[in-house]
Amino acid sequence: MRWRRFWNRKQRDNELGFELELHLAEEIDDNLAAGMTAEQARLAALRKLGNRTHVREDVYNMNTIGWLETFGRDARYALRGFRKSPGFTSVALLSLMLGIGATTAIFSVIYGVVIDPYPYARPHEIWAPLVQNIKTNRPNSFSAHRLSEFLEFRKLTVFADAMGTSPDSMLLTGNRSPENLSTILVTGNGFQFMGVEPVLGRVIQPSDIRPGGEAEPVAVLSYRAWQRLFDGDERALGQELVLNDQPHTVIGVMPPRFGWWTGDGVWLPLPEDVRNDRTVFPIFRLKEGISKEVAEERLHALTLRLAEQNPDNFPKEGFTTTLRNYMDITVASGTMQTSLQLLFCAVGFLLLIACANVANLQLARSTARTREIAVRLSIGAGRRRLLRQLLTESVLLSLLGGALGVLFAVGATRAIVALMPDFYVPNEARITVNIYVLLFSLIVSVLTGILFGLAPALQSSRPDLTHALKEATQGAGIGGGRRTRNALVIVEVALSMILLVGAGLTVRSFIAILAVDTGFHPERVLMVSLPLPPQRYPTLEQRNLFAQQVLDSVRNLPGVEAATVGNGGMPFGGPRSAYAIEGQPDSEERRIIVGLAGADYLQAIGIPLRLGRAITAHEVARAEPVALINEAAARLWPEGEQPLGKRLRLDVLTNHPPNWLSPEANSPYVTVVGVIGDTKNDGLRNEPLPAAVAPYTLLAPAERTLALRTRTEPTSMLNAVRERVQAIDPNQPVSRPITVEEVLGFQTVQPRFTMALFSFFGLMGLILAVAGVYSVLSYQVTQRTHEIGVRMALGARRGDVEGLMLRLGSKLIFAGLLIGIGACLALGRFFESQLFGVPATDPLSIASVALLLMVVALLSAYLPARRAARVDPLVALRHE
Amino acid sequence: MGRKSKSDSRGDMLQGTLDMLVLKTLLPAPAHGHTIAKVIEKTSDEVLQVEHGSLYPALYRLEDQGLIAAFWGTSENNRKAKYYRITPAGRKKLIQERGRWEELVQAVMRVLGPAAE
Repeated sequence: MRWRRFWNRKQRDNELGFELELHLAEEIDDNLAAGMTAEQARLAALRKLGNRTHVREDVYNMNTIGWLETFGRDARYALRGFRKSPGFTSVALLSLMLGIGATTAIFSVIYGVVIDPYPYARPHEIWAPLVQNIKTNRPNSFSAHRLSEFLEFRKLTVFADAMGTSPDSMLLTGNRSPENLSTILVTGNGFQFMGVEPVLGRVIQPSDIRPGGEAEPVAVLSYRAWQRLFDGDERALGQELVLNDQPHTVIGVMPPRFGWWTGDGVWLPLPEDVRNDRTVFPIFRLKEGISKEVAEERLHALTLRLAEQNPDNFPKEGFTTTLRNYMDITVASGTMQTSLQLLFCAVGFLLLIACANVANLQLARSTARTREIAVRLSIGAGRRRLLRQLLTESVLLSLLGGALGVLFAVGATRAIVALMPDFYVPNEARITVNIYVLLFSLIVSVLTGILFGLAPALQSSRPDLTHALKEATQGAGIGGGRRTRNALVIVEVALSMILLVGAGLTVRSFIAILAVDTGFHPERVLMVSLPLPPQRYPTLEQRNLFAQQVLDSVRNLPGVEAATVGNGGMPFGGPRSAYAIEGQPDSEERRIIVGLAGADYLQAIGIPLRLGRAITAHEVARAEPVALINEAAARLWPEGEQPLGKRLRLDVLTNHPPNWLSPEANSPYVTVVGVIGDTKNDGLRNEPLPAAVAPYTLLAPAERTLALRTRTEPTSMLNAVRERVQAIDPNQPVSRPITVEEVLGFQTVQPRFTMALFSFFGLMGLILAVAGVYSVLSYQVTQRTHEIGVRMALGARRGDVEGLMLRLGSKLIFAGLLIGIGACLALGRFFESQLFGVPATDPLSIASVALLLMVVALLSAYLPARRAARVDPLVALRHE
Repeated sequence: MGRKSKSDSRGDMLQGTLDMLVLKTLLPAPAHGHTIAKVIEKTSDEVLQVEHGSLYPALYRLEDQGLIAAFWGTSENNRKAKYYRITPAGRKKLIQERGRWEELVQAVMRVLGPAAE
């Protein structure tokens, strides 16, 4: 076949027609010449030459792709059919749009977050080391190492490439308002390792590390930093950024979709100077031909050696060293990934409901078309040909539905992204309906079409011809068709039961999370972080003095009830420290959360004192080794023993990160002076962990938090606070103001996301299932009009007829509900991780959903039943 | 040529044979479909009957393969007609086919042996 001939095959066919006419004419001439009469000559010629149309078809088919031609014809025929039954078509398209659209939308999220979350070159070939305690299997401060260790790792021959990252933050000053900027230090080869090109200038190169290990003062901007600090001006290249009082030259700008450890900070070369033995997070690429296991073995041998030299950095009970693929350590690998997987199942169910619905409609339609199909079969259409035609119809329908679904998905994806909790998604993830997503929905559409089209097509392509031709006029259905349809309705009800129970459970969890007692009063508390760059505040005294001055200054602001200074995320967390209770055996692996706070801590955060007393301002000022413990920590003492007055060893007070400062002669021992109420310091979902609060003067991290309880709207105090702080140090940024209520809000974002999507999909499922119940019963009423007429003529009353149809409907609904409940109980454990405060087999959720579904489904069964009861027997009997 | 029902039910040998006969017929001079059929029937003493159903697909196939070429002309009875002429590729093909055919016939004859008394 040649394409040129394919395109003018019409013209060629005309030519052939002409040729055949000529042949016939010549034949007739010959016959006449042989002495036949005109009529004889014509008939003889025709007889001899046979079926001319056949010849034309043969030649025509030589020049076409058979299936394409048939497909075109079938498609045109199907479209005509769709136009002729707009009701069927619109309901089917709507079902498919919802099913395929929802699936596509969730797939686009999964694609963006789980399948392709990174812009780096070959991200699945990146490995991160993981040192795990051999007993507890807990990671040893997750893949963090020392620079000196990293330099050893790099020498291993099993790695083709190794890069290290050391996250930091520096004070940005110069001729701009001071702010705390994320500065991510990467080894010289870091950007080559990542394989991402800059949009402007150049990236950090190995030559940016001088032979002595010092780093050139250069900086690569993130896209956001470029926009924010330089308004996206190309002249940013070569300009200076003053970071911790040291000027750095801007050498490049990265594209928007590059956020290695920071989305809006800068990247600096990491000095390879082990005198400042920074924390470094290494990643590797394996040398070609080296298996993960071999690399792990070599890495473990090296780590063991390093642990001998520096046992403090490694678990004492022994450890394993493994490599984890970077694709498995996305931010979304935890709760979010499970949530997405479950949502994908949910939309899968939704799609199945849609399929069942359309299959049902198709079955009903093909029953109505029995006669048409029987006629086609009887005039010689092959069964395979007929099957193909019916499947073409279904696939065409699902492709149209898929096209609508993609439109739906574009909107739904945007809505989902808006609902998504930021920090559960890698900052480099891009969630859009891209080509892969479109490809996915195309495949889903075709498969869907085959799935819902196959059963009806098989059913209707083998009718008993004589029976069908005879019976069709009486509008009777095919016996098997009814069974299939009933089964489909049961499946729909069961699936939507599962979806709705899922939705109900997420709603209950969300409510439970909102109702959690945090143990403190979160309202009207403003928190402001105060970075204390080591260059500006090199000593403990300076850091403590600054904190004291700020506290004294803001405490007297009108509208401030109480103020305190502390570390990090009070009252939610803090450094976890090894500890020991004096007189009790040491515990190597247990940790206690250490809070560092000022005297007014309890008033500012609103935590009740249970026993003893609070820490006094005097004790804070003199850095007395005293502490408050929470009730969880008080339970660490043996039953009946009173913790007040006892001593507790907090290792972090003496063994802390290098840029933290503590008094020269600090002892790790503190005396317990009071017991305070438990607060939710390990996330709202988890039980409070043991915690201790010591005066902030005992330990000064490089960044502190100021917390204020205000009398009015807390954010209205921000300007006044900023003024007071900058009166003390004009170069001090007052960054990241946030209220405690906002912090609590973060805790509910993820459950809210899950709840919103499950509820939405549950609702869709309910609508589709109800449409399914309604259409099947309506159809049965139409099919049985004759029978109903007979019944009524024989004396059945309206109530009897109504009852008959309702019984039929409720049988299907109850069967569906029972299967659904069974499935919910069986599938419950997969759902547990998404739930809080409610078991996956929560009887209340299951019962209320069953009730809701039953009422709605029975209502949808009632309408056709009432229509059945209105049948006028005279009309019904004459109807035939 | 046997009566055909479906294009795919013809054996390759028969199909090839008709092609060969068509090429042979066109060797002396161009001709249109009817003449080709007539000549084959006449020269085979009416043993071989050529039908539309085989002839025209064969002509279109040969044209597609570039073994013959078509042009419009006028028939003996003054009708506009589509004439076919053999191309150089067609001549080469005919020689090949003829060789193959002779080999085949000889082989078959060897198998059959001398005719029984």
